[in-house]
Amino acid sequence: MAYHLSVFLENNPGKLERITKILSDNSINLRAMSLASSGEFGVMKLLVDNPEKAFEVLKQNKLTVIKRQITAVVVDNVPGSFNRLLNKLSQNNINIEDCYGFLLSDGKTAAIIMEIDNTPNASQLLSDIGFDVLTAEKIYKY
Amino acid sequence: MFWQKDIELMDKEQLRNTQLDCINKEIKIAKRSEFYKKKLSNIDKISSLDDVKNLPFTTKEDLRNSFPYGFLATDLQNVIRLHSSSGTTGNPTVVFHTAFDISNWANLSARCMYTAGARNNDIFQNTMGYGLFTGGIGFHYGAERLGMLTIPVGPGNSKRQIWFMQNFKTSVIHILPSYALRLFQTVEEMHVDVKRDLNLRIAFIGAEPHSEEMRKKIEELYNIKAFNSYGLSEISGPGVAFECECQSGLHIWEDYVYPEIIDKDTLEVLPDGCEGELVLTTLQREAMPLIRYRTRDLTKIISEPCACGRTHRRIARITARTDDMMIINGVNIFPIQIEKTIMSIPEAGRNYIIEIFENNFMDKLCIKLEIDNENFGGTLRDLEKLQNRLECELKQEIGVTPVIKFVDAGSLPVSDGKAKRVFDLRNKNK
Ligand SMILES: [Zn+2]
Repeated sequence: MAYHLSVFLENNPGKLERITKILSDNSINLRAMSLASSGEFGVMKLLVDNPEKAFEVLKQNKLTVIKRQITAVVVDNVPGSFNRLLNKLSQNNINIEDCYGFLLSDGKTAAIIMEIDNTPNASQLLSDIGFDVLTAEKIYKY
Repeated sequence: MFWQKDIELMDKEQLRNTQLDCINKEIKIAKRSEFYKKKLSNIDKISSLDDVKNLPFTTKEDLRNSFPYGFLATDLQNVIRLHSSSGTTGNPTVVFHTAFDISNWANLSARCMYTAGARNNDIFQNTMGYGLFTGGIGFHYGAERLGMLTIPVGPGNSKRQIWFMQNFKTSVIHILPSYALRLFQTVEEMHVDVKRDLNLRIAFIGAEPHSEEMRKKIEELYNIKAFNSYGLSEISGPGVAFECECQSGLHIWEDYVYPEIIDKDTLEVLPDGCEGELVLTTLQREAMPLIRYRTRDLTKIISEPCACGRTHRRIARITARTDDMMIINGVNIFPIQIEKTIMSIPEAGRNYIIEIFENNFMDKLCIKLEIDNENFGGTLRDLEKLQNRLECELKQEIGVTPVIKFVDAGSLPVSDGKAKRVFDLRNKNK
């Protein structure tokens, strides 16, 4: 089971930098992130190579942080592949709470990170319908 | 079951007779003071309790204006202690005690704690402030009188509080309701399991008006019973009224004070059951009797019999202090209404402040809430939902739409004493 971290943020200058500094001081590699904001506050999702450690150090630094389960699949870095994924998800009634992607080091494929709330067995389902579902190990280090 | 059975179960008629005798005694003693010598110059005694309403009121202003000794009704050689308000603006209010007063107050505090279920084999941790503030020292004496092992920790230093609770198996705690919530953050940080690691069973909460929702929250968090305590330093301190095991209203000790409820505008006495300002006349004070003291606390008298059998009437939970009222665009709002609403929404967290400022000649009410690991669901959608819910429910409760702001955990100001939650930032010079 893989997860990323969800951090509450008041939107003020220096806040993001404070978080990245804590990660960097603790040699934690930030692999990808997304930020959703509603003007005065927001929520940041952090995908890191060591979520357990990152969770502890952020908490120690008095940040409001929780772990959230994610599902990640690999798609080809070609037009239409993300659309194909979404199409399959909606056909199977899987609802995405949040999602972001990043290019993998081979340059030919990308990882799509998804928070799926309504389907506990989403990974299994996705792999059954032919997607390359990444293991936790791979999400953190690939 | 009872600390002083004969007094607590005293027949109503007898109680009223005692009250009349005591008021006349208090008038006599009071008239030795400079203030009452003038104020009561043409009154020596009253012939029935119905006449109490004809006696003059005493206000906090009177206490201030008579600083320092205007209310002292005995020779200084008989006085053994004074308590005083902080007096940051103008003269402080000063309250004097003889040895008899202190002993009486200790007995009354012991009665309160016994009424709530504390016994002499309990371990009592007092987290209230000691010193000029009456909260700590008042119950300290009471707890010792009751025979509990008393730990005078005083306020603050949450880690040490929990350390004492764990090591000495504290079973009874005296705590400000706002601090009880804040202390729980440290309980969690220290990974203390309240059921496994602590032995708490009773909390006395008081000194700040608080809602039933807040009491429930404290009871849930610590898995205890929390009892509402009422008192005021002008009368002595904590111990004036207290909840019994029924937890429905506070028995006001009618052998110690004579309570009335008045309309705060017309100053007419209201019948039992009507809400208004609580007025108290002391019945046993030696150093400084007070006649019809206006407490500025809003409540009502509950005269129906209580299931516990005590004949002393009850007062309802204090809904507000008249001083606390905020006027926002002409609407009267009490902070406790906001607290009640916030506490009834489990995801809303525990730490908040209220700010009032002016924008385009209109008052704006802003409520800042901390988002901590307890109440953070992890998505923006949850936060926006919570924001809407707070806005709607508060609008319903207070009639004004507030601005809800979420802020980082630990970013709101904290105080060791009573929580300061309301910050009025309006320009008062206009
Ligand atoms: Zn009762």
